[in-house]
Amino acid sequence: MTGKDEGPSLGQAIAFRSKDFLKWSDSVMEGILRRSAVGRGLDFLTKDFFNWATRNSIYPLHFGIMCCALEMAVASAPRFDAQRFGVIYRSTPRQCDVLLVNGPVSKKLKPALRRLYDQMPEPKWVIAMGECAISGGPFYNSYSIVPGVDQFIPVDIYIPGCPARPEALIDGFLKLQKLIKENKKGLLTGR
Amino acid sequence: MAEMWINMGPQHPMTHGLWNLRIKVDGETITDAEPEVGYLHRGIEKICENRTYTQILPIADRLCYGASLSWNHLYCRTVEDLMGIEVPERAQYLRVAALEMQRIASHLMWLAAYAADLGMMIGFIYAMRDREIFIDLLQSLTGSRITYNFCRIGGVAHDVPPDFERDSLRACDYMEKKIREYYDLYEGSKVFMMRNVGVGVLTKEDAMNLGVTGPPLRASGVRYDLRKDMPYESYPEIDFQPITHPDGDCYARYCVRMEEMLESCKIIRQALQRMPKGKWRVLAPRNAPIGTGLGRVEDPRGEGMMYVVGDGTDRPYRLKIRSPIFVTVSAAKRMLVGYKVADVVAIMGGLDMCIGEADR
Amino acid sequence: MAGSRRGAPGEGIERAPMKVDGEADERVIRTVIDSFPTTVKDFQKVGAGVLRAKIDRRDLFRACKLLRDRLGFEHISMISAIEYADRFELVYHIACYGSCMLLELITSTPKDDPTVDSVSAIWGGANWQEREAFDLMGIGFNNHPKLERILLPKDFMYHPLRKEYKEGP
Repeated sequence: MTGKDEGPSLGQAIAFRSKDFLKWSDSVMEGILRRSAVGRGLDFLTKDFFNWATRNSIYPLHFGIMCCALEMAVASAPRFDAQRFGVIYRSTPRQCDVLLVNGPVSKKLKPALRRLYDQMPEPKWVIAMGECAISGGPFYNSYSIVPGVDQFIPVDIYIPGCPARPEALIDGFLKLQKLIKENKKGLLTGR
Repeated sequence: MAEMWINMGPQHPMTHGLWNLRIKVDGETITDAEPEVGYLHRGIEKICENRTYTQILPIADRLCYGASLSWNHLYCRTVEDLMGIEVPERAQYLRVAALEMQRIASHLMWLAAYAADLGMMIGFIYAMRDREIFIDLLQSLTGSRITYNFCRIGGVAHDVPPDFERDSLRACDYMEKKIREYYDLYEGSKVFMMRNVGVGVLTKEDAMNLGVTGPPLRASGVRYDLRKDMPYESYPEIDFQPITHPDGDCYARYCVRMEEMLESCKIIRQALQRMPKGKWRVLAPRNAPIGTGLGRVEDPRGEGMMYVVGDGTDRPYRLKIRSPIFVTVSAAKRMLVGYKVADVVAIMGGLDMCIGEADR
Repeated sequence: MAGSRRGAPGEGIERAPMKVDGEADERVIRTVIDSFPTTVKDFQKVGAGVLRAKIDRRDLFRACKLLRDRLGFEHISMISAIEYADRFELVYHIACYGSCMLLELITSTPKDDPTVDSVSAIWGGANWQEREAFDLMGIGFNNHPKLERILLPKDFMYHPLRKEYKEGP
């Protein structure tokens, strides 16, 4: 439309069609919230609250690859009960925070897994559970395994074990909560 | 109405393990189906050519993680057949008891996932709670929760821990009571019965021709159970009955697995009571002779086979693995065509798929 | 309630029935040798109910049809492909439910022409097993309805189970 630094003046704005008006008002609000002191002030007030809400409602993706997936299922069973930490599995990547990779990633699966990771909205984290996801595991020199999921996806938490026990998985979730707490970011300004 | 292909998977809550099911639908009715596997292919047969016979034991566990003791045992039987080793009697009875506990745990895992898929979350909770009892027993026996590495070539790894027989018998009593409760829970649910009775019928001739084995075969009326018809270990000494059902639908497969759990409790009791004292392992030679070995067992999911070719060294020349789920999934088209999209979950869930063994 | 779902009515608890008897084995051996006198070799009994034979690959389809139609071998258990220095071998394990027998049928192909006839028209269960043998070992099956890769990605260039393919990521 017009130059980026100033935007249209108020006089021109009144003459917009509705679509263009909404675009203009969005950009004005964005400027106020994200780039000015109002946004930084709001973030300062609400950062702790939103961070508390985020770290106590980690939603992993319903994605089981191999043996560690059984222990992931058992972690939400009555005995270990991950749900008391706010962990509920969701079926679609668009609603998830955490991608839990729990098995060896074969070359056929690699593009599908990357697509799942890209579909997840920010903020997102990745947990590599089990030896196969960390480094290829017992199949490290196979022709059809990617040796470690961190070759194509950035990983935040590594949970060792073959298979990783459900207690280890819950410990991994608690470490992720600590990680989220230490890296507090305001939702508006991202700082 | 226009027909179109729909892709279910590889990431889908219904697909336990990763596989892709492409179905062609005409409105709501399925007209064609094409399963696609291979997302979990690890190249195990090639890996095994570069490992010694003992190093393959933990890898054989990880073939099918739902019933890993069964695959470990199958591998040991195959290599014992190649090397000509006779396993001592105490080890045979112990293997039978552990295998039947693994069978109960595997069927309970299936029941939990099946109930969760069909919308009965209470089934998931109950089945997982009861499965923990058998997992604890197996953990006290072997040291691990799901990939046990318990059988060795020539016997088992170690003897039973103290009070193992007493705890196992108590677990069997508890399980027999609980399975009767499960019958009330599932058959009292009208939705469960509607989703299972008459759905996914597989006729006897189709089941035999398409290579379907295990509970789906017995649910179609064929009375064939490798533990009875070509028995191994100490199964000839034990009284039990293979379970069949004439209908061939999802309800029949559910019935067969529930009754099999009751039979397994009987087998565990007899095996532990008849177990003699003595050695539990003989030492196997390091190098295998030149020849072939064949192992064939009744896995909880069907007929598992392994074929090994030895060439005189301490590594196998070729190890071929036959997975029951690989062949049963190929029969999916016959079971799915003509039913609705909502029945896919019940039909494919009733086959108890563990894709790790299909893809190897 | 639970008891009504058991097998045929009137069946009691029984010990493991030894359905394998010498007579059924003899009948199988005689029928197969009579039908293929020149191409079946090395017929032997390997264990209780397990037989082994070698056959030429050109007669494989007719022999399998005979096994299914006249001798009642309804189930193909496993098709294994093995590579030796001078040949490829295919081992077919075929089972008979009625008489509890397992037949190990071995056929071999020369190294430069690894093709055999497909038996998926006889037993539907052979379909995916033959696709797997093609995918991993490169054996061609004539008249197979859909011979494509099944376990590896479609654009994978090699047949990994061959001895010339060295493993590595």
